[in-house]
Amino acid sequence: MPQPSPVTVVLEREGRTLVYPRLTTAHQLLNRLELGVNDCLVIRDGELLTPDRKIRPGDAITVRTVVSRG
Amino acid sequence: MKCSRCGAVAQVALPSHHSGFCPDCFRVFFSRQVERAIHQHRMFSQQEPVLVALSGGKDSLSLLRELVLQGYNVTGLHIDLGIPESSPAARAKVEAFCAALGARLAVLDMASEGVPIPAVKACVTRPICSVCGKIKRYYFNKFAMDNGFAAICTGHNLDDEVGRLFANTLRWDVGYLSDQGPSLPGRDGFVAKCRPLYRLSEYETAAYAFLSGIDIHVAPCPYSKGASFTRRKELMNRLEGESPGAKLQFYESFLKNARPHFEAAEDRGGVALAPCERCGYPTSAVVCNVCRIREKLG
Ligand code: SF4
Ligand SMILES: [Zn+2]
Ligand SMILES: [Zn+2]
Repeated sequence: MPQPSPVTVVLEREGRTLVYPRLTTAHQLLNRLELGVNDCLVIRDGELLTPDRKIRPGDAITVRTVVSRG
Repeated sequence: MKCSRCGAVAQVALPSHHSGFCPDCFRVFFSRQVERAIHQHRMFSQQEPVLVALSGGKDSLSLLRELVLQGYNVTGLHIDLGIPESSPAARAKVEAFCAALGARLAVLDMASEGVPIPAVKACVTRPICSVCGKIKRYYFNKFAMDNGFAAICTGHNLDDEVGRLFANTLRWDVGYLSDQGPSLPGRDGFVAKCRPLYRLSEYETAAYAFLSGIDIHVAPCPYSKGASFTRRKELMNRLEGESPGAKLQFYESFLKNARPHFEAAEDRGGVALAPCERCGYPTSAVVCNVCRIREKLG
């Protein structure tokens, strides 16, 4: 059986890329990263995702932490 | 999640306001929060000339954009600190942003003023950030006063304000608690200071910057020690997570119920200021800090 494509998540601030075999929603991603709803922007294709949005196999997502330095 | 105003797909979820918004409606929400801050605290009118301090970060650029779109009489002011690793990029970004927005911009060059930050760093023993902060505030104020501006606006957001209030409260610092707030009236030698983004969280300004196409990445200052406030902010965010709206409420209640008492206490025993012998701007010493550094660098 062909494997579904994984989800790539770029953590912008940390400069790291994570690969998840499967993610269901943005909320699940936030939980995995131990981040709250308003701790970061979850970006996909130039759009922001609210926690309830579904994540599809093969999605490329960027997580931009918003807590500023200083 | 659907937009609370128009029913389209929401892109911004705001538990603190029990709402979610699509990009267009979120920008409306953002504008209203700014307007409300300006009116409620009588910051400035549409006609009065005001300055916006522009570091190049998302908060100050979002603030300038919003004030320009709302038709205020604003001019940006950028301070070029003269740090080779970060200043040219920050300055270029601010210049390009203002040009695209059609906003007036003034740039003050710390090297021409005799206080480039790398040289200052080499001659002071105190942490450079506290000195650099003083120099920036001094020049913002001086520029505003010398050029007849009614106020200077900075991009401090709710998280900045609440983080600072929390720190000042932990120390019960009467001096700082007496004048912390979104709007500080002008007085002898000091121009009025306003923080029109104080009702908006860091997340909300980041979302606004993203949705407005304000590119946020700039090379950080090499002297920045990273996130010093972050622990406190995390604590406040945890509180907010458990009880949405807690941050704004803590801050607004302070302004309403507590600050007047600290103001009264400070009036009874504050530090006296007099004009600096060299530059004429207020100081608690004979010659102000900035003039002393400038003379040292001679
Ligand atoms: S981090 Fe750099 S720019 Fe910011 S206050 Fe410190 S020295 Fe100044
Ligand atoms: Zn909408
Ligand atoms: Zn002076």
